[in-house]
Amino acid sequence: MNSPVILLLLGVLILALPVFLFHPKKGLIALLKRYNRDAEKEKIENALKHIYDCEYREHYCSLESIAGNLGVTSDKSSSIFDDLEKRNLALTGNEGIKLTAEGRDYALRLVRIHRLWERYLADETGVDPDQWHIDAEEKEHDLVDSANEIAEKIGNPVVDPHGDPIPDKDGQIFKLEGKSPLDLERGEIAKIVHIEDEPDSIYAQLMAQGLYKGMQIQIVEKNDGKIVFSADGKEVVLASSFANNLTVAPITAKEEIKESFQTLDLLEENQEAEVVGFSGRIRGQQKRRLMDLGIIPGTKIKALLKSPFNDPVAYLIRGTTIALRKDQSEGIFIKYA
Amino acid sequence: MTTQTESNCVNCPVHNAAHLKKLGVNMSDYDYLVALAGNPNTGKSTVFNSLTGLKQHTGNWPGKTVTRAEGGFEYDNSKFKIIDLPGTYSLLSTSKDEEVARNFILFGQPDVTVIVVDATRLERNLNLTLQVLEITDNAVLCLNLMDEAERNNVEVDARTLSKMLGIPVVPTSARTKEGIDNLLRSIKEVATGEYVCKPRKVKKMNRKYQRAVDTLVEDLNKNFTNLKNPRWIAMRLLEGDQSIINALEDGSLTAETEKTISENNKFVENR
Amino acid sequence: MNNVKEIVNKANVLRWELGENFHDSLIEAIYKEAETISKETVKFKGENYSFSLDRTIDKYVTSRLYGFPIMLILLALVFWITIIGANYPSQFLSTLLLDKLHPVLKDFALGVGAPFWLVGLLIDGGYLATVWVIAVMLPPMAIFFPLYTLLEDFGYLPRVAFNMDRLFKKVGAHGKQALTMSMGFGCNAAGVVAARVIDSPRERLIAIITNNFSLCNGRWPTQILIASIFVGALVPAQLAGIVSALAVVSVALLGVFLSLAVSWGLSRTVLQGEVSSFSLELPPYRPPRILQTIYTSLIDRTLIVLWRAVIFAFPAGLVIWSVANITIGGEPLASYIINFFDPVGILIGLNGIILLGFVIAIPANEIVIPTILMLTVLFTGSAAGHENGVLFELDSLKDTEQLLRLGGWTLLTAVNVMLFSLIHNPCSTTIYTIYKETGSLKWTLLSTFLPVGMGLMLTFFVAQIWRIFSG
Repeated sequence: MNSPVILLLLGVLILALPVFLFHPKKGLIALLKRYNRDAEKEKIENALKHIYDCEYREHYCSLESIAGNLGVTSDKSSSIFDDLEKRNLALTGNEGIKLTAEGRDYALRLVRIHRLWERYLADETGVDPDQWHIDAEEKEHDLVDSANEIAEKIGNPVVDPHGDPIPDKDGQIFKLEGKSPLDLERGEIAKIVHIEDEPDSIYAQLMAQGLYKGMQIQIVEKNDGKIVFSADGKEVVLASSFANNLTVAPITAKEEIKESFQTLDLLEENQEAEVVGFSGRIRGQQKRRLMDLGIIPGTKIKALLKSPFNDPVAYLIRGTTIALRKDQSEGIFIKYA
Repeated sequence: MTTQTESNCVNCPVHNAAHLKKLGVNMSDYDYLVALAGNPNTGKSTVFNSLTGLKQHTGNWPGKTVTRAEGGFEYDNSKFKIIDLPGTYSLLSTSKDEEVARNFILFGQPDVTVIVVDATRLERNLNLTLQVLEITDNAVLCLNLMDEAERNNVEVDARTLSKMLGIPVVPTSARTKEGIDNLLRSIKEVATGEYVCKPRKVKKMNRKYQRAVDTLVEDLNKNFTNLKNPRWIAMRLLEGDQSIINALEDGSLTAETEKTISENNKFVENR
Repeated sequence: MNNVKEIVNKANVLRWELGENFHDSLIEAIYKEAETISKETVKFKGENYSFSLDRTIDKYVTSRLYGFPIMLILLALVFWITIIGANYPSQFLSTLLLDKLHPVLKDFALGVGAPFWLVGLLIDGGYLATVWVIAVMLPPMAIFFPLYTLLEDFGYLPRVAFNMDRLFKKVGAHGKQALTMSMGFGCNAAGVVAARVIDSPRERLIAIITNNFSLCNGRWPTQILIASIFVGALVPAQLAGIVSALAVVSVALLGVFLSLAVSWGLSRTVLQGEVSSFSLELPPYRPPRILQTIYTSLIDRTLIVLWRAVIFAFPAGLVIWSVANITIGGEPLASYIINFFDPVGILIGLNGIILLGFVIAIPANEIVIPTILMLTVLFTGSAAGHENGVLFELDSLKDTEQLLRLGGWTLLTAVNVMLFSLIHNPCSTTIYTIYKETGSLKWTLLSTFLPVGMGLMLTFFVAQIWRIFSG
């Protein structure tokens, strides 16, 4: 027992124990939590959200579509629906499954916390865009009651980072206007007002293309099956089914298009340029901070010094020397003076 | 303690005693309350020290004064209490420091807010200045680091600046105590109402936003008789600022009433 | 109030219609206004001398070639001045307060008829521990802080943050953490306070939690003493000095490494969701005002930190005296605790005495070694020249070594003491400061127990591997 070899092994085991217990995805505690979570309640809530979504998008909603959306058998989906009906949350009519007033209320509360949480993650943390939705899917079931608290902390936002309206605490919600990029003509310019975050696979693809809400696009080519447009100086090719997950709004001529601009990180030492705007990756807290430092469209900016590792770089901004990291300067559009 | 019940008393202190108590400021021995705002690195703490005679350490660092420093001084037979607010670039973001500074000016309603700016980098510093002037009318601009400006061939026309901003502008070099006397005089003049400030408000906003602000201002004025800065409140509402919504609801923005402030309204610095 | 609700609703309708750019538009408008005003009121008449001078200085201190050497030289200079300069006043204070004043006080107290236990408790316990901390702590701090503050006032430190930021970014931290870390070499509590200059909440927390891995002023003497006795002895006498110095430096570097590693771990686990934003202003250089700096840094930093340390050291002194002098069934209280700690202590290559020493010395790392020496004497019954149950340090290394070896110390014990002294809980002053700065019990507990856990683990593994190889 007192042999150091055995003790050593024991030590390694003890060291491995917390990993085994606390690993966020595969750890025992995470597993138990997932197991213990009220699976029934979650199914019901997800079904409510699905029915709400159908109504919002004016789709037909049936037991099959519920089954498909939740990934359960049709038996299960009908038992979920029975449950909803019993609780007076949903009913069937001529136009398929509909929510009752109570059900809509419940669904809106779920939608509210989901979108608020996404907005929180987007604005206040460094969590990657493709994680926002996934995280919110988990959190919405636990956080429903703290929605107002979160909303207040982040300035009661009315839009989530994908462009969806966030219902207010009384369940009122605005309606999103816009169209699919497929409805645009060649050469037309529009702004992305919404990126659908479901299903995950398509959303991840769209994120990987670097698309973001507020991005300006110009249609280059459109033929059956795919669409080509330019955005932030790059050409993006999307299959029609993917493009349909975007909602765009044609823009008024006044807004400048940022396609031909370069980004600040390309500025050489002692070169001068003018700030044109921010890429969508710079948002929330981060963006406010940069603007407070005087980086706004029209600001003259000069690269002064590179640090020994080339990152960060110090810039002269309105009389003050301010160092920015590369991941910040990459998100600032400039044009050479 | 003086509790104001009338707002048309010109020579009276305007600070709000009830709210100040909530903010942890004891005004029992003082006639006037002065707040000191400014960007980091403008020598704000040096100005504070010259006014109060305290020796507070001031590093050549942005954001040094994190906790609130208080001091007092006497000038011309009046007693002034002065609060050194955290140095910030802006009052519109959500960092802790900015919240402390903003809430103090908004809810504490100091008799005078002294804004310390770096004369060599006036343009950048005016950002904060204009924001302060949106919140409060009674302000003095302390144009600090004049010695450095001179050395570096920067000339600032204080008279025109004062005319354009609508508040007194006092050039100082706090390190050598130059101009501090003038600063004291201006503080007194504004505090007593001898000098009536007509602060400049931001005009060049995009038309559609301007219209939105105007609509809300109209509504606010219709519903509240005593709002000091409806424009600022309208702008905060357009950013969904919960502390402003709460304050509207419990009446802490309508100046002279002594309504209790709800406990969840924690605008006091909680470090 | 209903009309408030109506107005808020109206505002929300407007927000939805206007889109999200209201904030941006407002800031833009303010800056445009500022531009108009400054155009009419500011005239630039010729060259900005300071600006071009600043650029010239910057060119050197941030250059790829000179940047880091300049930094290292300055840092080394600060430490060298601190160590050399602190030596004499430390010795003077220690002679005065410990050797001279202590017996006088004690005789006086006994002379006026104070009971033995009270004199022991207050003078051998509280007084001795307090002045011990003052003698060890005050001189280096009084030298280190003003020097550091001078660099700060001059404007050099932000450049260090600028140079180092890349490295810290990799571990999810802020470049300014380089400064809080070097401040931590002076005193962890001061390092924690210095983290205020980091304006991003997440990075500030990381800097606060990891500051303890900077080997502080209170722990350098422990490292140096142990290294000179045990590590220096491994090599020929003429090399002993260098080798033991190297050992101490490696421990300090291990601390830096751990600090970065823990930052990395924290930023990817518990602190992942916290708010993060970067900004670093490089302020203009300003000639430092030397006298004022010395005055204010003494007031602001040195005395405050010292005061807190004293407040914690006095009660610690009471405890030390009590455990050594209160007896139960003929045995001092300490021996029960030591027997209790012994199995764990030996398991991790230390012993019960050392563990008790670390526990009692939580208020001040400076008294770890004196406490251990005292307890060793008490336990081994060695007549190392001093009365029982009183803090002391031996004048010659040889005597200290003899005493420690008598207490069962080996090279393994020495190595593990050095490691554990680097990696254990922060002193109580620092813990208290962390609580004040973060306002959160959660982060305070994490900063306290994370390093203890790591230290126990590391010493455990070192001990087992050592024993395997040494048979």
